[in-house]
Amino acid sequence: MPPPVRSAARPRSLHRYRRQFQIVFLLLFLGLLTLTFWPLGTIFLGGFLLADPLLAINSVANGVIRWELLLAIPVLISPLFIGRAFCGYVCPMGFMVELFGPRKERHPGPVSRRILRRVPLFTLVTVFFLILFGSAVFLVFDPLSLFTRTATTLVYPAVDRGLRLAGDALYLAPPLRDGVDSVTGVLTGRLVFANGLTYTLQLVMLATFVGILAVSWWERRLWCRHLCPLGALLGLVGRAAVCGRVVDERACSSCEACTAACPMDAVRDGGVSTDCSRCQLGLECADACSRGAIRWGRRPRKQYEFDPSRRALLKASGLAFVGGFFLFTGLGRIQRNVRLIRPPGARMELDFLSTCARCGQCLKVCPTNVIQPAVFDAGIEGFFTPQMDFRRAYCDWNCNECGKVCPTQAIRELSLEQKRLKVIGRAYIDRNTCIPWAENRDCLVCQELCPTPTKAIVFRSEAVEQPTGTAGTGSGSGQTATVKLPFVVPELCIGCGICEFNCPVANEAAIRVRSTEQTGLLSR
Amino acid sequence: MRDMDRRTFLLSTGRWLVIAGLAPTLSGCARALRWSESQGRAAGDDTSANPSPATSDTGGSTTETSAGPSTTAGSSTTTPGPSGSTTTSDVRFPDLAVFRGDSPDLNVRAALAKLGGMERFVKRGAKVVVKPNVLTGRPPEYATTTNPVVIATIIEMCLEAGADDVTVLDSPTSSPRSAFQTSGLTQAINEAGGRLKYLSNRDFERVDIPGGQAITSWPLVAQALEADTLINVPIGKTHGMAGLTLAMKNLMGIMGDSRGQIHTDFARKITDVNTVVKPHLVILDAYRILVRNGPTGGNLDDVQMPKTVVAGTSQVSIDAYGTTIMGWKPADLPSLVEAASRGLGEADLSKLAIFEGTA
Repeated sequence: MPPPVRSAARPRSLHRYRRQFQIVFLLLFLGLLTLTFWPLGTIFLGGFLLADPLLAINSVANGVIRWELLLAIPVLISPLFIGRAFCGYVCPMGFMVELFGPRKERHPGPVSRRILRRVPLFTLVTVFFLILFGSAVFLVFDPLSLFTRTATTLVYPAVDRGLRLAGDALYLAPPLRDGVDSVTGVLTGRLVFANGLTYTLQLVMLATFVGILAVSWWERRLWCRHLCPLGALLGLVGRAAVCGRVVDERACSSCEACTAACPMDAVRDGGVSTDCSRCQLGLECADACSRGAIRWGRRPRKQYEFDPSRRALLKASGLAFVGGFFLFTGLGRIQRNVRLIRPPGARMELDFLSTCARCGQCLKVCPTNVIQPAVFDAGIEGFFTPQMDFRRAYCDWNCNECGKVCPTQAIRELSLEQKRLKVIGRAYIDRNTCIPWAENRDCLVCQELCPTPTKAIVFRSEAVEQPTGTAGTGSGSGQTATVKLPFVVPELCIGCGICEFNCPVANEAAIRVRSTEQTGLLSR
Repeated sequence: MRDMDRRTFLLSTGRWLVIAGLAPTLSGCARALRWSESQGRAAGDDTSANPSPATSDTGGSTTETSAGPSTTAGSSTTTPGPSGSTTTSDVRFPDLAVFRGDSPDLNVRAALAKLGGMERFVKRGAKVVVKPNVLTGRPPEYATTTNPVVIATIIEMCLEAGADDVTVLDSPTSSPRSAFQTSGLTQAINEAGGRLKYLSNRDFERVDIPGGQAITSWPLVAQALEADTLINVPIGKTHGMAGLTLAMKNLMGIMGDSRGQIHTDFARKITDVNTVVKPHLVILDAYRILVRNGPTGGNLDDVQMPKTVVAGTSQVSIDAYGTTIMGWKPADLPSLVEAASRGLGEADLSKLAIFEGTA
């Protein structure tokens, strides 16, 4: 969107193509995410998340070192030279905020800015303390993680349903069926799923996303300016900027056109100074300047309205400390929550909570849709961490992709052989509802589908006496019948959940997988 | 830069939200539409709307066979057997052709040649559906899924016979793409020129089972029922609940809905299904069989190699012979006993014309 009036200076400046940059990066982001399906090839997926400095710092702080994290270094030091260009040119969340937000300041002047300008530093203090306490809960608001999660839980289910709808509609015309079948064949397991993609917390995700877009109505790009934790981190680095927005003070007429034009609230002192913790080098100011006095150069004149005093920082630290301390008070309960089953390869619960980026890539890659965002099973600090929902699906014997896509190795990569031995839980039979046990009728769906080479569910044929008035259908007849009664072999069960998923007992299955890691927290 | 007031902002946001919500909404409508349509079919006027490929006239359980395209050349001349004998007993061909040999594809070709060639079952321009056993994804050595070589050979033979289209379909119990790929079937099907079809809800249609004793209707894959030729290609495996899984049980793969419900009162229910679905050709792949930890397997010690293929036209007769390969007796398999007692086919091996050979 080049502005209509523009000075003749810098005809080759890249900032004119900012929108194109954003579109390309958004498409790249979504393209990589769309390709995140079984089986993962050699395409390097999740590159954006690996290059996220906030994730990288959290990972390193928790002892997760991998060479891919080097990607984050250029992003982290980029504000020294090009401002927060990452926010203005790359970040898909920033693009969304910009795209759906108003183009002009709605309430000009420093109405709310004074207070809001303090937010980024407080955010960083909080983040620091959360890392200290071993909680990665702040990554819920990391923009790349948030965008991945939103796209995963909202876009792909919609695409899945939309495509199936289109297929159903076209299928009504017999000549088109072959074509529909071919397309379905290509897309099944990639964009279209036999049982349909669904996620819990979809509405919460939608509300969060819309909320972030909506605060722009209060102040332009308010999320990017003041709230985004990644923006705060890059802004902190930006304070030490070597290069940035430079104003030719002799040419400046103090018309403040740049102040009004800046979408990031980064122009100070009537135009001549820059808040380098916010400037994203979109150079709207330069476009607005009638005298061509603004350019990118060395030694920008910096000014920050808010330089926190020691007292303010101490206050913030105290608050964050107390907050962080109480964040984990739910742990005692989670420790004993046998329903909380993490994907295979997940770290011990405490480590998991401190490393999981809540990005949802494991949700995206899972071919069966068994990985679901946790609501409260993992406590508030575990909100949106991945959890297995075995009533919705099961862990596929031939799949180990969740560990491959995890950007923080909260789920470690396992080879297929390792994964097939990885115990994530074990099945328990509820004899009160299990059909053979409770009703004297054969069933054994669980035993049939148990995928371990030596079945972890065995059975015993037993002659049972039928109560008068019932019609048991074992192979016998009359008053006695032979029924095959299932048993779980704990040493063999890995907790893949295919028995729970397929159990024909409605609602709550008669065979349920429960966590075996009740002491996992303490023995990290 | 376009200026936007509050109204425009709200409107544009609203518009995007509507667009985002449209797809799920429409999809919901389509579901409702689909539902009503299948209800109409199920409760509808006749069963002939579901052209069941009834190659043979059974002892009265399938009432109408007129709508089913007459497909097997041999069967057009046969008269319905008075009672038990319901196989397509063309005197020129044996009831079962059994071939042993080191190469699965030659076994299949020899068996088919003995049965009168694939041309007997597949007419020029025919649409063929092949139903293997793809329970879950395991490499072929584990004998969990039908041998890819057998499937590829069948596809090739169908195409040689002039088939227009050979579709391979099944509904695995694990994710379909990984199941077909891991079992080597995706590659085999593609190389042989067949078409792999992943099933979705729209492929199922509720079909009446007029003679059903335990179930009176069930959603089945319409394409399998409407095919000019339906070829059932099971593999021999043990099965905790059913005892063995052979040809009759392999039809569970074209059943929709919650298949777990079939497990209670299995023998009667699978027999009910076999009264309406009658494959024109049944080829039992016993090149490798799974003798323990079936039907999923996963342990090479549990695999035996009889290197056999059994071809025929009767599900029941195939299963009767199949039990002997598995080391059982026909009388040991409850579903087989049930089906034979209902006159679905001949399970008494002494009454069958069986050709055994080596390829």
